[in-house]
Amino acid sequence: MKIGKKLAGTLAIPVLVLAVCLLISGTKGILLFDSQLSWITFIRAAANVVLVTFALSINLNSGRFDFSIGSVALLSSVISSMIATKLNLSAVWMLALSVLFGALLGLISGLVYVSVKLPPIIVSLAVALFYEGFAFTLTGGHGVSFANNASLLGFGTIPNYLLVIASSLALMVIVYDHTKFGYEYKALLSGQKVAVNTGIKEVPNAVLCYVIAGILMGAQGFISATSNGAITMALNFGSISPMFMAFLPMFIGGFIGRFTNDKLGYLLGAISSALISLTYVRLNVSSSAQQIISAVLMVSFLIYLNNEGKLKQLLKR
Amino acid sequence: MKSFRKFFVLCLSFVMMLTLTACSSGGGSADADPTQKTVKIGVLVSDTTSAEALSFRSYYEKYIQSVYNVEFMYSDELTDAAAEQSAIDNFIANNCQAIISFASSDRPAQIEKCEQEGVYYAVATGTLTDDQYEQFKSYSHYVGAIGPDLAAEYQAGYDMAKHFLDQGYTKFGMFTGASVYFTEMHIYRAAGMLAAMCEAGKGDYSGATGYDIVGKIMADGGNVSTGKIGSVEVNGVVSGYDFDDAWFGKLAAVANDPNVDVLLAVGSGQTAFAGFKPEGKMLGDIDCYTADSVALMESGTLNYLAGKFSASIGPIFAATLSAVYGKPVRTAEGNALALSQGYWIATDAEMAKKYFEVDSSTTNPAYTKEKLDTLIGASYDDFAKFVAAYSFEEIQK
Amino acid sequence: MKNKSKNISAKLMEAAPVAGLVILLGIFLAIAAAKNVNIPYSFKNIVNQSIITMIVATGAIYIYTLGAFDISLGASMCVSALVGAMAYNATQSVVVMLLVCVGCAVLISLTSSVLASVFNLPVFVTTIAMLSLLNALSLVLIRVNGTGDVIQVPAMAVMKLNTVWFKLLVMAAFTALCVLTFNYMKLGRQQKFTGGNPLCAKLSGLNAKKLSIIGFMMAGLGVGLGAFLTITYAPTLSRNTASSVGMDVIISIVFGGMPVSGGARSKIHAAIVGALSMTLLSQIMLMLNLDSGISQMIKAVIFLAVVYVSMFSSRKTILPR
Repeated sequence: MKIGKKLAGTLAIPVLVLAVCLLISGTKGILLFDSQLSWITFIRAAANVVLVTFALSINLNSGRFDFSIGSVALLSSVISSMIATKLNLSAVWMLALSVLFGALLGLISGLVYVSVKLPPIIVSLAVALFYEGFAFTLTGGHGVSFANNASLLGFGTIPNYLLVIASSLALMVIVYDHTKFGYEYKALLSGQKVAVNTGIKEVPNAVLCYVIAGILMGAQGFISATSNGAITMALNFGSISPMFMAFLPMFIGGFIGRFTNDKLGYLLGAISSALISLTYVRLNVSSSAQQIISAVLMVSFLIYLNNEGKLKQLLKR
Repeated sequence: MKSFRKFFVLCLSFVMMLTLTACSSGGGSADADPTQKTVKIGVLVSDTTSAEALSFRSYYEKYIQSVYNVEFMYSDELTDAAAEQSAIDNFIANNCQAIISFASSDRPAQIEKCEQEGVYYAVATGTLTDDQYEQFKSYSHYVGAIGPDLAAEYQAGYDMAKHFLDQGYTKFGMFTGASVYFTEMHIYRAAGMLAAMCEAGKGDYSGATGYDIVGKIMADGGNVSTGKIGSVEVNGVVSGYDFDDAWFGKLAAVANDPNVDVLLAVGSGQTAFAGFKPEGKMLGDIDCYTADSVALMESGTLNYLAGKFSASIGPIFAATLSAVYGKPVRTAEGNALALSQGYWIATDAEMAKKYFEVDSSTTNPAYTKEKLDTLIGASYDDFAKFVAAYSFEEIQK
Repeated sequence: MKNKSKNISAKLMEAAPVAGLVILLGIFLAIAAAKNVNIPYSFKNIVNQSIITMIVATGAIYIYTLGAFDISLGASMCVSALVGAMAYNATQSVVVMLLVCVGCAVLISLTSSVLASVFNLPVFVTTIAMLSLLNALSLVLIRVNGTGDVIQVPAMAVMKLNTVWFKLLVMAAFTALCVLTFNYMKLGRQQKFTGGNPLCAKLSGLNAKKLSIIGFMMAGLGVGLGAFLTITYAPTLSRNTASSVGMDVIISIVFGGMPVSGGARSKIHAAIVGALSMTLLSQIMLMLNLDSGISQMIKAVIFLAVVYVSMFSSRKTILPR
């Protein structure tokens, strides 16, 4: 494929989304990026979405549906924030702890999955319930609040968010595209039985996938918590909603992945999603309208994706 | 064949259930001497995670349960009317003699069910509408309601906005919470704030200036509009509890708007604005007293807090217990209680700390056993007088 | 001999959900007796609390058998109930309310399945989009109705239908229809075949899209009946009505021993077993009066344990997906 075509294919969607968002906000007389706060809002949203998208895609691409990623983010951020506030640690330490506990919780999730050998969706339901209950019990239901802690809240700057995004992208690209683990992951993805028969150790691969997803969700939990200085508890699957924000970027990423690295595709999908989110903020779009727009966008894009050939034929006629 | 066998087993279980169901009866048996037995009280809650809900629970479970011969049984988070009905059924099955309700999806249905099953029912931190009170006031098992009525909610919003308006502030941002879900409590609080602005700014809100603002907000789908109210400005409004990137973005945008000097929240202001608010901007909230809110007052992040004190649910407990003991507190006409209670208002850190120390005490809260004992079997007038003296200073006397 | 003992142990494992139900019932009765709980009244509660999930989950079996799943059932039930209530308020007819509830639910399910079938969309993702749309729609309906934050049907209008007998009758009728179509007619066999091996089914001439549409319609019928019964039980409806039904259905179906990937081992009674088990577990937690967080953790462990035992015999050497 020619470089020009690759570049066009890679940038088409984010550029189109940007253009549409600028146009819509422009017609209302509003600048999409009018201050540093707009940039922070946009980049924070991009960071949140890209982390969840990476975490979800790791297991979902392997056919493992994971409802528990939200609960991993919740519990890891609860534990790290409780330790950080008690020991008066800085934001960097809290991030490190959140990532560490995210990895640990992911490990537990993975070990449960490989031990019980039940469909991952079932395991994830049980794990989500358990982690939510544990977070609730740890905090007595009160959640965690550190709105007074300037040090922890101070993490929310553009360079820091960009660093998180870049680190997560680097992690995903290096681990999944340039290591033996990554090659084995892809082999298992495309033909599980054949890959296992060729000697690939599926169990450690699956467990490590859960660990990496946990690392990413630990970081996401940290960003979410430090954006407003509070963590609210969730019970009865209240933590699964963050997962849904990752589907559209994943599909966009899948499309862009034809022209470039699929992880970059996920990032560009997250950026597109963040642009839409910023437009909602700038235009003060109501919650119901946001839900409708997001749903219509996702379905429309999927219809295009799954019927591309037919649409091209129709256009040729 | 095997699946049929399993199904047969199931059917047998059902038959057993049906047989037993045929013998079903309600709970709430009358005892010869109710004061001697542990009184089981079911508590309906629509919220299990907010600071206010947890402080109420702490008062009941850690204080009341330790000094009275009662046992509280809490429901899970009840999100709709069907869940409330199920929870009431569960309490009745578990021999609860009374139910105290913090859940308001369908209060009439709750009252009807409890009356039907012979279980006492009381409303905490809320009130019935006038029509509802007229309908249920004579029900023998309806104890009554004690809490901020809609007028008190309106006043709370009014007082909060006025506090800042009196200091000369004219540019406001608002968080209207669940007003977009038509939650009356939040709509009335927001209306009160706007009414104070109309008065101070000598303007109107879409042609309304007082209680009629409520109608304007309702007509607009629970939304509050930005704009000028005379010389006062509302330059940013956020509503709902989406907890997504866009919602946090809107909160940050309003909190950092150079045309906003004061942020007013109908509730959860600490969650909504405290983390985003830059130094120098003022924040007022209608919520409850927690260690976190005191810390925020001390740091100057929070400047005004109107909070329900956790022991405010003491009198309704006393009224309920009194009813169970066969000494219901009724009006002269024999009707149920309908008493309003307001908020403790802290405008500086010292006041907030003082209120919180009393509010969070599990050994010496605002309404101790000694105080509540005076309510059991009391006359309506004495009861009403007691509840009306809800301010911190009056209680401390 | 070895094969015979293997078969017996496999059959025992398969009966684990029913055994789990019986064990939970035993634990419930033991604790209830110890705590002097009103057991007959509790049984009435169990029926009331589980019946709607049972009906919706039984209908959802058709979707799960095909290897798909629908996360928007709760939102669909909410919208159907709201529209049904509005229909009652306009016509004062309970029959119209029932027809509207069912019609609305079937229409919603049909929309999801037709979208997925016609445009070749993954079913699950279509239902996620529908979830968002339906949540927004329920807010719009409440706003349009103009009666504050709820839509109400007069309690007197539905009081006579709010009886255990009526609910059991509805459930029995719907379950009979499902058992008939799923176990004794070719629809069920075709669905199991398609869920178990889609390629073989396609090559055998089965139309997966048609089966998917029929499956969603059956699920819609269950959702509509669930919406109707919700109105009779609690005639005040809000945007949160049936909010937990979506996840309750998934848990019930899995708890009842239904394989998530569908196929030949799908059982129509899994929904009933699972819903009853879940309700009994909740009752047990309530009687023990445990903290919400601890209670949820215990439920998670028991859920995993029961499903583990019930699926023990079907585990493969490679990790399931």
